[in-house]
Amino acid sequence: MKLTIKSWTGVASWRWIANDENCGICRMSFESTCPECALPGDDCPLVWGVCSHCFHMHCIVKWLNLQPLNKQCPMCRQSWKFNIH
Amino acid sequence: MAQNISPEQSGGAGGSSSVKHNDDSLPIKDNHAVSKRLHKELMNLMMANEKGISAFPDGENIFKWVGTIAGPTNTVYAAQTYRLSLDFPNSYPYAAPVVKFLTPCFHPNVDLQGAICLDILKDKWSALYDVRTILLSIQSLLGEPNNESPLNAQAAMMWNDQKEYKKYLDAFYEKHKDT
Repeated sequence: MKLTIKSWTGVASWRWIANDENCGICRMSFESTCPECALPGDDCPLVWGVCSHCFHMHCIVKWLNLQPLNKQCPMCRQSWKFNIH
Repeated sequence: MAQNISPEQSGGAGGSSSVKHNDDSLPIKDNHAVSKRLHKELMNLMMANEKGISAFPDGENIFKWVGTIAGPTNTVYAAQTYRLSLDFPNSYPYAAPVVKFLTPCFHPNVDLQGAICLDILKDKWSALYDVRTILLSIQSLLGEPNNESPLNAQAAMMWNDQKEYKKYLDAFYEKHKDT
């Protein structure tokens, strides 16, 4: 028997690998977006600190920008540094 | 999750002028995000059914809540129940809510208007705190006051003699029974 494939549609799924389900700042799911965004994924990414804690990028940046002096992780209060994977 | 919430560490937050209102003029216009988070907290609080604390929006406005805490057992505040108001700014959770005792509370870190001196509601605030951790912190503050930076100097001075303190407290409640 000989088959001829006329067309096909690729489907892919993705998920973040985070140590928690929700962002501690906005309490929205990591699989979803921060409250300001509509589309999950690259437009509303997760970021990690070197302290290993993880947040929506928009949430942690907003938090850090509002800290007048010490830019600390809201979880462990260590000074926040982005962990570049 | 919450660290540094021990009231003993309230270092610079103290002083009699610490009744500072939270800055509500931050450039965050999205009330929707705030009410979304508050609704989530309400759901979680109702599901968790935590012993000794409760909180619920005061009417239609999700930005104003009334909470209750039970005085911690094995302290002079045991068997008392306190009502508190929580006012959430538009910048919540990036800024702390304003929390006040509605029930008169005689305590070294609470003034006669109900204002509370607690570091996590001031300079030690974190966006990860929520209604639950706030109420639990205030509950533990009752039994472990920070006498270094009192709002109520009389209470701070009396604290060392717990027997006398309890006596005074009972008389205080008798006097404020109707408020």
